[in-house]
Amino acid sequence: MSKIKVVPCSGIGKVFGLLSREAGLKVTKELCPELCEAVCLARVMTVDDDAKESIEGKTCIAVDGCPKMCAAKTLEAAGGVVKAKFRAVDTMRLHRGEDAGTGTFLTDAGWNMSGELAEQVSEKVKELAKEEA
Amino acid sequence: MADTGIGAVRMQIGVISCSGEEILGGTLTRMATRKVMEELRPGQAISLCLPLFIAGGEEERNFARDYPVISVDACERNCAKKSIEKYSGQVREFIILTDFLERDVIFSKTVSMKELTKEHYRMADKIAEEICKKIDAIAAGQ
Repeated sequence: MSKIKVVPCSGIGKVFGLLSREAGLKVTKELCPELCEAVCLARVMTVDDDAKESIEGKTCIAVDGCPKMCAAKTLEAAGGVVKAKFRAVDTMRLHRGEDAGTGTFLTDAGWNMSGELAEQVSEKVKELAKEEA
Repeated sequence: MADTGIGAVRMQIGVISCSGEEILGGTLTRMATRKVMEELRPGQAISLCLPLFIAGGEEERNFARDYPVISVDACERNCAKKSIEKYSGQVREFIILTDFLERDVIFSKTVSMKELTKEHYRMADKIAEEICKKIDAIAAGQ
């Protein structure tokens, strides 16, 4: 069984993108590296052959920053089977009034939000991995 | 040469980084682009969001059609450059980190911001300087 692809949007303009990026990285590097892996979204987008092969027909989780859902849309367009979609903006809504940082850095509150999002994503990874085992 | 002083009209220039999630180089392109936009050439350097650009963001695509764009890629796959060329035309300038950083650094699996060292920040500064050189060259020829 191939690893589940966890793909953040990494949008550069606002803090949402950095939250999604760091959450995705935490899941793939720390929380469940044995079950999932990251794929460069830019490679998927440009229909790099290797990347397309790693996405097409494979179970993916999109970790987007904002409601534009660029990662989810791109994965679907590349033939990925997107079984879960997360948005950093939803996590931020649970922390109204807190400053998460910017597209350049996260504050302590931002790291906490990113960590929370990562936990949600990792639970989904484990659930999907169990289903596919 | 374009006057970059206060009050002068400066040409806006787009900067688009690959921000690849698999390797350190992607993180460095992103950090450098943000530094240029926020600190080194604020108001002149406009960062374009690659995911949004690819997913069909009209604002991003129109900007890239109407203004010069510099692509900043970590590796020879040139994902940011290829994306601009596919949807909005030629990039005016491009940067590939493999031209001036060691490959084992660029392809390192250290990707998260919280793992970065001072040396990584120095690398991002160096990339930011390269971006600024390209911006200034484009502005000089406007």
